[in-house]
Amino acid sequence: MAKMSLGTMILKMSEGLGTTCGIFFLTLLFSLPLGLVVTLLRRSRLGVVRGITKVYISIMRGTPLMLQLMVVYYGPFYLSKWISKTFDVTFRLRWSGDVLVPIIIGFVLNYAAYFAEIYRSGIESIPAGQYEAAQVLGYSRPQTFLRIVLPQVVKRVLPSVTNEVITLVKDTSLAFTLGCMEMFTLGKSIANSQSKFTPFVIAGVFYYVFNALVAFVMARLERRLNYYR
Amino acid sequence: MKKMLAMALVLMLTLTAAACAETFKMGFDAEYPPYTYMGDDGEYTGFDIEMCKKVCEKLGWELELVPINWDTKLMTLDMGEIDCIWSGLTIDVIDPEAYCLSTPYSDNSQMILTRADSGITTLSDLAGKKVAVQLGTSADLLLQGDQKALADTFDGGEAVKLPNYNDCFAQLEAGAVDAIAIDIGVAANKIAVYGDEYVMLDESIASEKYGICFRAEDTEMCKQVEDAYMELVQDGTYQALAEEFGLDVSALCLLETEGE
Repeated sequence: MAKMSLGTMILKMSEGLGTTCGIFFLTLLFSLPLGLVVTLLRRSRLGVVRGITKVYISIMRGTPLMLQLMVVYYGPFYLSKWISKTFDVTFRLRWSGDVLVPIIIGFVLNYAAYFAEIYRSGIESIPAGQYEAAQVLGYSRPQTFLRIVLPQVVKRVLPSVTNEVITLVKDTSLAFTLGCMEMFTLGKSIANSQSKFTPFVIAGVFYYVFNALVAFVMARLERRLNYYR
Repeated sequence: MKKMLAMALVLMLTLTAAACAETFKMGFDAEYPPYTYMGDDGEYTGFDIEMCKKVCEKLGWELELVPINWDTKLMTLDMGEIDCIWSGLTIDVIDPEAYCLSTPYSDNSQMILTRADSGITTLSDLAGKKVAVQLGTSADLLLQGDQKALADTFDGGEAVKLPNYNDCFAQLEAGAVDAIAIDIGVAANKIAVYGDEYVMLDESIASEKYGICFRAEDTEMCKQVEDAYMELVQDGTYQALAEEFGLDVSALCLLETEGE
């Protein structure tokens, strides 16, 4: 017993790392822009839109991501089952295809809420005088936002965004809630069958290197955005 | 862009009737040696997985191995993500009205595993001790139900609940807990690996049975699997695999049925 080679362990866990990276990049790809949309809705002049957005953000931040993943995945099925029963019809809604799709949707909905609040803190840190000055110079509201406010916001929120991105790397292990065998889960099954701690050390190294890369890239980005100085 | 996203969503969330695929999706816990686990070569193996492979061979089905989250196993089955739960599943605790259960294929006693030097030799020695269980396993349910009186004597008045067996063993090894309440097969496997370091108490806390769980409407599938399984019992594969994976042959309840 307990004779899986270190090479096999690393190889097996690297396969899972592919899934982990997939969750990470796809979540960022969709949640970073969605967060901006949410922020704009959150600052809408319509009270209803503002209210709904506030409720959305509060639910996303107020409940565990694990639970949200389960709702996205199992919710449609159990809802359709309940509707079928109540209204005496037969239909079933269920996710077909890759389980990665509901996982990404769950992650994106959750992370967009956090990014939205980070963006909002950036937008609201811009002094009102700049809006007034822009108005005097004849800028329209969208122009003011896109040309004057946004370039400064991007700079200001970058450190907070980095924080959230690093958290995302570690949150990917929650994908196992829906049975997705990402790197950490594979590590756990190896640790279990081999009665060894090694896979956890490997997982730790993988996460650390991943995050060191993220931090490096973000630091580069911060330097690149070193304008207005 | 929005339209495309909406369309993609609709495609993914399709209306589907009962699954009619040729592949047989076996749902299992990837951390349950010797029944279902990741082997030394990184491929899933174990008594249940090898038996399932043979059953599918007999029936001409293509097998798809689907590792699942054990906490949500019945939901995963309901949804059609898998066709059965086959992973050292204690069927005594599952509602036979809501699911189609196979004939049990193995006895499963719930035992207490402890370190050889712990000084615990009987169930009454567990008074004031820390006892761990895997969350949601039959040992966990047992200690909240029929054996609640025993759990009351533990340190803290209940068992320490951990997410998987590996954590239980790690805590036992580190001395954070004094014993584990566990399925006999898993305990025997651990003793086989570690030798003299661990012992099992002679008294069991309950006797239960392992079986395969299908959706209630899949009685036909259940019957086919059962028949193929019985053929494997008759040709000796069942016993041979059990020995290969270090199971206690006396627990193989289908052998007794054969003898009658």
